[in-house]
Amino acid sequence: MDYIIIAQNITKDFDGFKAVDGLSLQVKKGEVFGFLGPNGAGKTTFINIMVGLLKPTSGKILINGADVQEIDKELIGICPQELVLWDHLTCKESLKLMGDMYEVPKKLLKSRVDKLLKDLLLTDKADTVVTKLSGGMKRRLNLALALVHEPEIVVLDEPSEGLDPQSRRVLWNYIKSLRDDEGKTVILTTHLMDEADKLSDRVAIIDHGKLIRLDTTENLKKEIGEGDVVEMKLSKPQMNMKVIESLKSIQQIISVLEVDGVINLRAMDAVGKLPQIMDKVESTGVQISDLSVRQNTLEDVFIELTGSSLRE
Amino acid sequence: MKFLSIAIKDLREILRDRRGFFFILLFPMLLIVVFGFAFGGSGGNTPHNLAVINYDQGFVLNNQSVNFGNNLTQTLENAKYSNSNVSLFNVSQPSESNADQQLKQEKIDAELIIPQNFSQATVSLINNTILETTNPLTASSSNTPNITSTLIIRGDTGSMDFGTTQGILVGLLSQYKNGIVISTQNSIRGTPGAQPTEYLSSTVEPIAGTANFTTFDYQAPGLIVFAIILLATTIAISFTREIERGTLARLRLSKMRGFDLLFGGMIPWSLIVVAQVVILLIVAIAIGFNWQGGINSILLAILVGVIGGIASISLAMIIASFAKNDRQAANLGTLIAVPVSFLAGAFFQLPQASIGTFMGQSFQIYDILPWTHTIDALRTVLTYGGGWNDISYQVGLSVLLTIILFIIGVALFSRTSLRAES
Repeated sequence: MDYIIIAQNITKDFDGFKAVDGLSLQVKKGEVFGFLGPNGAGKTTFINIMVGLLKPTSGKILINGADVQEIDKELIGICPQELVLWDHLTCKESLKLMGDMYEVPKKLLKSRVDKLLKDLLLTDKADTVVTKLSGGMKRRLNLALALVHEPEIVVLDEPSEGLDPQSRRVLWNYIKSLRDDEGKTVILTTHLMDEADKLSDRVAIIDHGKLIRLDTTENLKKEIGEGDVVEMKLSKPQMNMKVIESLKSIQQIISVLEVDGVINLRAMDAVGKLPQIMDKVESTGVQISDLSVRQNTLEDVFIELTGSSLRE
Repeated sequence: MKFLSIAIKDLREILRDRRGFFFILLFPMLLIVVFGFAFGGSGGNTPHNLAVINYDQGFVLNNQSVNFGNNLTQTLENAKYSNSNVSLFNVSQPSESNADQQLKQEKIDAELIIPQNFSQATVSLINNTILETTNPLTASSSNTPNITSTLIIRGDTGSMDFGTTQGILVGLLSQYKNGIVISTQNSIRGTPGAQPTEYLSSTVEPIAGTANFTTFDYQAPGLIVFAIILLATTIAISFTREIERGTLARLRLSKMRGFDLLFGGMIPWSLIVVAQVVILLIVAIAIGFNWQGGINSILLAILVGVIGGIASISLAMIIASFAKNDRQAANLGTLIAVPVSFLAGAFFQLPQASIGTFMGQSFQIYDILPWTHTIDALRTVLTYGGGWNDISYQVGLSVLLTIILFIIGVALFSRTSLRAES
């Protein structure tokens, strides 16, 4: 197997606090690799170790077989979680500066800058100083700065943080194109389940600095079963158990149980079964006060594996 | 040429951060204006202690032996403040070695050394004046020798009293020379009031403009250096901000080397120093600073200022190594820059605190600060009209101390901010 990154038993101690605890994993060349975990799980610390900004207390990171401290700096581009921008430079000036820092030839740099501005919908703001950009634009520029030298590995630390849905969609499409069109390896940290789900080929779930599970999103979801999830809140919660008994009689229901006062029903083609579900509930003389249908997500996997939901 | 990209980036950031940029220039300008108004009028009508060492051997003119050295000494003894009976100088005539000793002990403010050929040079001046007045066409091709005689005004350039004394002396000596030329011309042309056989009037009149040298003339170069020292805080804030906002980490991940960051950062701040020196000098002159030098003095002042600026950049690196955020850098910077300015003598003359001698010169405890020499050198060129030879020792020492400070700054800053965190 062609692994581009190999992390060997990485540990990082901060005054007795283990931010990363014996983490080992491999990232394949050309995949989008997701790090999923709540805030404070150790994702950013691990990323900083992986790109050579932070030295691990113990363990080793190998990039293309070489120690991370000795690799060619062009190999990695990092888009940090925070906005790391020069307030008084324009988008174009910022990109040219980083291009110069990576010794990108002038002619090539110009075409790369223009392309990045176009791809990330910043062409109109090329000569606008950072302080006058919107939050979404700043985030896209933050990403562009990591890509101006065309790195082989792109590290995106919580890239969607604080983005509006439109900017998020632009970003997600762009991340997909990095893998599909340019063959880049993308490392993605997120605490957003749908982001990890939609973008990642494989996901590492980490919490308290430890690797809990590493697999493809499909395999992880399969672990807790397939199907959609219907969540219902009744006008009389005391009737929940009676309704659950009634719902169990519907064919092809995978499971139905009560979670925190809400009825949680898992079934294949849940939308198609909604009329039957409504009939059963009404037959017990209770009204539905709230109902939602969603697909089985990584969050369900995460809850299953960690016993808790994601901490914001 | 990554350092050039860093330099351009820093310059853009400095110029576009208008609030910060105005603070860099406006605050020192305001300070100069305040000091100018507060101290611009104060020179005091008190006699200055002057030792005259007269080596003049005299000259025979029209069968009459003259000694212009004695005449000048007498002129100095009789000189009085404008519209006042107070003498300008308490003149003493010790030996040169005694005078040097008294200067070190601050018993006198300055010594004036009249050279052996002073009378000869004065007669030469008179002859040339006669020739130019009577036959201007042949004057340039005449065989009348031009004899140069240099009067030496010696003193501690770090002393405010020396500043005042030499300021008065320079003005007085200039008038003395002009007086000789004018009285010679008048005697030939028969201008009413001229004395035909005397080339030098023995009557001493109040010398206009002698009270022009004020405390502000001593302080203005110090205030320019204060602005340069204060830059250390602004630069430390910019360094710390770069760390705090993560932009330094972003740059560190690239192929940028520490040299590119530090050398590139030095260029725009040096340009700011150049602007500070020129603008603050203009402001100082506008409100009454008696600028003695010519264009050459501005170039020397810029050179001296840039060396002081590099010392400030070094100090900024040290401050940034200890500050965790820009607020800490601002507080720590002010805490260091203001006392350092006082210690370097930016505002007031400091008492003697000798810790030995260095290259034959007394070395005070505050001489370990590069800016002490920046101030002395700046005063020498701007206030006293000195040239390169007069400041070479100060510049040399300033460069040496700046290099030491720079090495410390780079070592600390690299250790805390340019390497991977452990």
